[in-house]
Amino acid sequence: MKFPRPPIGTPHMIVYILKRLAIAIPTLLLLIIFSFLLMHAAPGGPFTQERELPAQVLANLNAKYGLDQPLWKQIVSYIWGIVAHFDFGPSFVYKDRTVNEIIAQGFPVTLTYGFVSFLVAVVAGVTLGAVAAVKHNTIIDYFAVGVSIGAQVLPNFVMAPILVIVFTLILGWLPGGGWRFSDPSYWIMPVIALSTSYMASIARIMRSSMLEVLNSNHIRTARAKGLPAHRVILRHALKPALLPVISYLGPAFVSMITGSVIVDIYFSTGGIGKAFVDSALNRDYAVMMGVTILVGALTILFNLVVDIVYGWIDPKIRY
Amino acid sequence: MVIDSQKMKSLAEATSREDVAGRSLWADARRRFFRNKAAMFGLVLLVFVTLFALFGNSIAQWSNEEIDFSVMGMVAEQGGPSLANGHYFGTDDLGRDLFARTVQGTQISLAVGIIGSAIAVIVGTIYGATAGYFGGRLDNLMMRAVDILLAIPYMFVLILLLVMYGRSITMLFVGVGLISWLEMSRIVRGQTLTLKGREYIEAARAIGVPAPVIIRRHILPNLIGVVTVFATLLVPNMILTESFISFLGLGVQEPMTSLGALISEGSGTISYGTLWQLAFPLLFFVLTLFGFFFVGDGLRDALDPKDR
Repeated sequence: MKFPRPPIGTPHMIVYILKRLAIAIPTLLLLIIFSFLLMHAAPGGPFTQERELPAQVLANLNAKYGLDQPLWKQIVSYIWGIVAHFDFGPSFVYKDRTVNEIIAQGFPVTLTYGFVSFLVAVVAGVTLGAVAAVKHNTIIDYFAVGVSIGAQVLPNFVMAPILVIVFTLILGWLPGGGWRFSDPSYWIMPVIALSTSYMASIARIMRSSMLEVLNSNHIRTARAKGLPAHRVILRHALKPALLPVISYLGPAFVSMITGSVIVDIYFSTGGIGKAFVDSALNRDYAVMMGVTILVGALTILFNLVVDIVYGWIDPKIRY
Repeated sequence: MVIDSQKMKSLAEATSREDVAGRSLWADARRRFFRNKAAMFGLVLLVFVTLFALFGNSIAQWSNEEIDFSVMGMVAEQGGPSLANGHYFGTDDLGRDLFARTVQGTQISLAVGIIGSAIAVIVGTIYGATAGYFGGRLDNLMMRAVDILLAIPYMFVLILLLVMYGRSITMLFVGVGLISWLEMSRIVRGQTLTLKGREYIEAARAIGVPAPVIIRRHILPNLIGVVTVFATLLVPNMILTESFISFLGLGVQEPMTSLGALISEGSGTISYGTLWQLAFPLLFFVLTLFGFFFVGDGLRDALDPKDR
């Protein structure tokens, strides 16, 4: 029996997406306002230096960056700049660069290794978890469980130095840092460092949900009517077992973006995390806010996509 | 009146026996937990790490701030782990005793993990139980707020906070506490929603027990299982968060240290051949995380026998 499922594009699907957007947009606005107020309330302005600037110079600087306006006007013009022109304003530290330029420089790098890591974590994790569940209580299962437990206590900032010790210092196979789009050997260590612990979590989630599905009635029925094992697993077990994994992808995405900070620092890949930490150490609030808001927007967008995919796969969800 | 002391004794024994004879849910769970090898292994690890954090300083020959000038400058050659000069774990790059620093790092990491988890338990339970019990518009509003907060990339906001308002351990606790309760409140709300439909809650409401009393006497005790398991699993996550921030150099400040800061220092100096500077902090970090993960998993299996 086939369950009717709302294909993308039916009215209630659209209503559902609109409902989700109705939450997403205020969230983003709140994030912008929150970080703006944080920045405004922070002790010391962007032009506070060891040698105090003459009052006239300071006033001119404030006027140039619009800091003499009332607070609400600053917020409105900041939001308007982002919404209308996708403009995060000028950097407070590098006088000749805008936040957009700084972000545009690092973003492609982060996106590349982030996407590859995400793919590796999902594909390897799902495979490992599914195989472990199918071969429950065999050597393969124990191996998979061992790997996933071991990988969970090795977060990216622990993986990174270990990888460098093994592959660069001892074996000398891989470059210890830097980034080239054309040479994937520069990609390997960042991707491993970033994806390992998420692969482990996905494998754990996949294994337990697959075990549950394999013990359920519809699988017993499928087996009873004589379907070959691979068809039972691929056609009947895999899809329902994937649901918990999909709902984990949202949080995993957020922590992977956070993890890119470590990758950028440790492997000098020059991604967006580098821009964030540099600006944090330089107190370049404009860049910090720009990165935070961009990452927030990405997170919200990604969660939206995950929710839609979830609803699309799970026939039980009615919007 | 003369009381037969023999009979009284037998009665006393009988009543005390009666306590033992009935096996409650908790006794059952305890039995399952102590039979779980992985959980017991985790518990042993946790006891070891806790003892190390509490009493390590009384074994240490050096304080965590003292610089040993006899090894300073020649750390790679003479600063290795040795019993002779009292640096059991060697020294760090400045010639400070790594044993004392690892003890302190473990203390800070455990403290951050446990305090962060405690905040989550208190705030998350109250928030989630309130939202779940009252339901309706209030529930909708409260949970939307949680959704919005969860969608914020908290690590970035936390770093923003630490940079703008100074890097202090208080700020770190505040920051970790601000985010840790969100997930907890969701879980507690879900559990409260299922509890709310039970007959005994209905009965309590029917005889006019006020809502706060129902929450305190009938809902909260039934949440203990879920909350305990989640809190145990939250501790290692809090430790990871703190270590991440300390690794970036934004966490606790010198001369204080945490395991994340020590791992960061150690991994910065491996190319000089001082592997122990990474190995010992990393060992305690991994042991602590393993301990909490195993105990948390064991608790979950013990409290929910059908979910295995």
